[in-house]
Amino acid sequence: MIKEIKLPEISESAETGTVTEILVEEGDQIEEEQSVIAVETDKASVEIPADEGGEVQEIKVAIGDEVETGTVILTVETEAGEGKAGKEEEKKEKKEATATEEKEAQKEEKAPEEEEETATAEKEEAPEEEEEKTEKEKVAEEEEEEALETAREEAAAAPPDEASKEEVPAAPSVRRLARELGVDIYEVEGTGPGDRITADDVKSYAREMIQGKGGEAALPEEAELPDFSEWGAVSREKISNIRKATAHKTTRSWRQIPHVTHFDEADLSLAESFMKDNAGEVEAAGGKLTITALLVKLVGEALKQFPVFNASLDLKNEEIIYKEYIHIGLAVDTDQGLLVPILRDAGQKSITEIAVEITDLAEKARNQELSPEAMRGGNFIVTNLGGIGGTNFTPIIYHPQVAILGVSRAQKKPVYSDANFEPRTVLPLSLSYDHRIIDGATAARFTRWLCEALKTPCRYSMKNSNDGKE
Amino acid sequence: MMAKNEKKEVVVIGAGPGGYAAAFMAADLGLDTTLIDPEAQPGGVCLYRGCIPSKALLHVAKLKREALEADAFGLDFSRPEIDLDKIRSWKDEVVEKLTGGLKQLSKRRKIKYIRGMAAFKDAHTLEVEKHDGEKEELSFQHAILATGSRPMSLPGINTGSGQILFSDDALDIESIPETLLIVGGGYIGLEMGTVYAALGAKISIVEMTQGFLPGTDRDLVKVFAKGNEELFEEQWFETTVTDIEESDEQVRVTFENPEGEQEERTFDKVLLAVGRKPLTGNIGLDHTGVTLDDKGFVKVNAQRQTEEPSIYAIGDITGEPLLAHKATHEGRVAAEAIAGKKTAYEPRAIPAVVYTDPEIAWCGLTETQAEEQGKQVKITRFRWSASGRAATIGGSTGLTKLIIDPGSDRILGVGIAGKQAGDLISEAVLAVEMAALASDLSLTIHPHPTLSETLMEAAEAYYGHPTHIFKR
Repeated sequence: MIKEIKLPEISESAETGTVTEILVEEGDQIEEEQSVIAVETDKASVEIPADEGGEVQEIKVAIGDEVETGTVILTVETEAGEGKAGKEEEKKEKKEATATEEKEAQKEEKAPEEEEETATAEKEEAPEEEEEKTEKEKVAEEEEEEALETAREEAAAAPPDEASKEEVPAAPSVRRLARELGVDIYEVEGTGPGDRITADDVKSYAREMIQGKGGEAALPEEAELPDFSEWGAVSREKISNIRKATAHKTTRSWRQIPHVTHFDEADLSLAESFMKDNAGEVEAAGGKLTITALLVKLVGEALKQFPVFNASLDLKNEEIIYKEYIHIGLAVDTDQGLLVPILRDAGQKSITEIAVEITDLAEKARNQELSPEAMRGGNFIVTNLGGIGGTNFTPIIYHPQVAILGVSRAQKKPVYSDANFEPRTVLPLSLSYDHRIIDGATAARFTRWLCEALKTPCRYSMKNSNDGKE
Repeated sequence: MMAKNEKKEVVVIGAGPGGYAAAFMAADLGLDTTLIDPEAQPGGVCLYRGCIPSKALLHVAKLKREALEADAFGLDFSRPEIDLDKIRSWKDEVVEKLTGGLKQLSKRRKIKYIRGMAAFKDAHTLEVEKHDGEKEELSFQHAILATGSRPMSLPGINTGSGQILFSDDALDIESIPETLLIVGGGYIGLEMGTVYAALGAKISIVEMTQGFLPGTDRDLVKVFAKGNEELFEEQWFETTVTDIEESDEQVRVTFENPEGEQEERTFDKVLLAVGRKPLTGNIGLDHTGVTLDDKGFVKVNAQRQTEEPSIYAIGDITGEPLLAHKATHEGRVAAEAIAGKKTAYEPRAIPAVVYTDPEIAWCGLTETQAEEQGKQVKITRFRWSASGRAATIGGSTGLTKLIIDPGSDRILGVGIAGKQAGDLISEAVLAVEMAALASDLSLTIHPHPTLSETLMEAAEAYYGHPTHIFKR
């Protein structure tokens, strides 16, 4: 029996991707769950497993193809035709059954039938009834309103299927305009009466899209390029999706956020010996105690002390959003480009836990095993270029975050203390922050706090969570 | 002999309202276009055997009825006499005039019209058997498939002789049977019933479901039923036809009611109006990547492109509703898509009209669909008994209803039953397409006295203050 292997949903945020690798050949015998192709989405490269085993008949995609959820990747000749298909049928049936039940349930909830209106001018009813009816109507209306709200919420949660797509209130001419501008009308918020989408709504959405605020349709626009070949040979290479995403994000951040970068230096002498003392323990746990691990731990603590660094700016509602979780992103340099996996709940983890997790995340990033989900939801990024060199740099904040900590190479420096110069290991820190919600003094205090904490690393024990608080 | 031609840019197969609209649009967009159809002139079922001839005959029926009813207004005519040959030739003239006009329009656009039948050899080649028997191979870059549909028969029933008719035969009005059974209470059954009753036949009608026009809002159907209590000699619902047997000049029909009881009756003729099915056979689809859905319709995307990228499909073969105006719109979309325009078929409302007297028309969401979907809607109705215009034309039984989204006041659908409902619905279609709110309709001044005011007043009723209704 010939079966089609289709591209599954890669993640909630990514519907399309580019085929970067084909891992099997026609005629190959593959097993269920065996990876068949690699697909690169916005920020991740994912290997796609087959949901059927068997002999590969035809590979229907090529490297460089844009594929979307549901695209047939290849066909396989399965040995036992029945099993899996039967199961799927069953699943489908069950799904349908639930859908019907739901529908019926909804039907029952439906407000009482609209009373027929009598179209005769003579007919009158007693005024008392009017009041009664109005009361009733009010209640009915409220209920209706509620039901509607729920329905809307459900609609918002569910992926946009055909039915909900038909709801978009926009005139045919406006829908055509959207198509011509490459705008997904279903993404546009209507400002007209009854949330109707106007031509202006579509145009301003398109403008935002180009400026990198809305969608990810195109690379940020640039001035026209000269013909470089006038001055010598050139070659061209397609920009990868990861590079595109980086271009978008940095452009957006750079344009929107008034950046200031604050520099400071931390005395690492005590931290160094602390790391030396505990290296074995962390290694035994499967990690490596690095300055990054230590810094992530300390940043987690600092974010508790300075919650504004763990916040986002909601300009539309003129509010600051404080996040009660501390997820820290780690900038990882990979062959594909810059990836930022997220270390979740860093504020509650011990240094050992953090070190082990960082080792794991970095490995995954380099092996392209990160799902797009693993790179979402960060509050603050630590980017360490110390391994390569440099004295300081000015990192770009990852919008909608508000700050990022850059770490450069630690160096032995003569430090003047007690009338003497002493050789000390000094770590340069660069904190870029969003001046719209963070002032220079706050940033200086934040960085100082980190420098001071690096002098007393033993306050943050290796194992227990929630330490450093007492 | 086989002649091989150079590659055509666009070949449209089928010259019905979908096909010719597609061809015209393609030509207007600068594409070299070929149109293939078995008829001498473009028009298809719609012009030759559907919309147009039926409306011509329905107009005759309406005139007769109005002439008879005019005595109530003090205008007495002698009983109208039917001259069948003259009616037929008038109808044929109408058809000839319109299809001839299309041929002219086609020529002016420099479209190559081939009279014949085409079948795919592969995704870029057609074999055309011309009307004169000559065969030709035609290669193309893009094809638009618009072969339409044909009337469905009943399972296990032979329709060999002339006593069992389909809508196309019935429109030829060869003769007027004394008794005619119409199988199917959908719009074709009702329209043909209206025509044949006016021409003097005694009509019986049998419908499988509980009432006329399955799927249509019952309150609209009720307006038709009330106005046509004497149209049918007999009407059976929830009744199926299990057997039809032709014998000398007569047809014996066996019915089965919901209780399983059978009954036999005899009629002069039987008209089968049980639906239409897409014409997807004998056109070589198996030589292409074109696929069908489980109902037998061709699968297409929003650009009306089939799963074979070089082939587009439009009209009845792509699915419900099987209506000419839907096909026309699809045809234009397909042509635009081929010309590289960013276009899509995404109607919010496709109007449906039943040309009975009174007419029934609706568009967008119906009350029945809202119920099925469990969707919260608010329905407001305006009965024509409060319309001045309706009173002046004896049309006070009519009804206009709006289906409104209570959250936004947006008009989601409209239903109208009454005289000229088919013309009135257009404003409603525009309202739904424009995502108009009930207030857009109620605040728009409508001419007085017209039936169009009923739309405005139905919208006023939504806000509780219709001028011509007093409601507490």
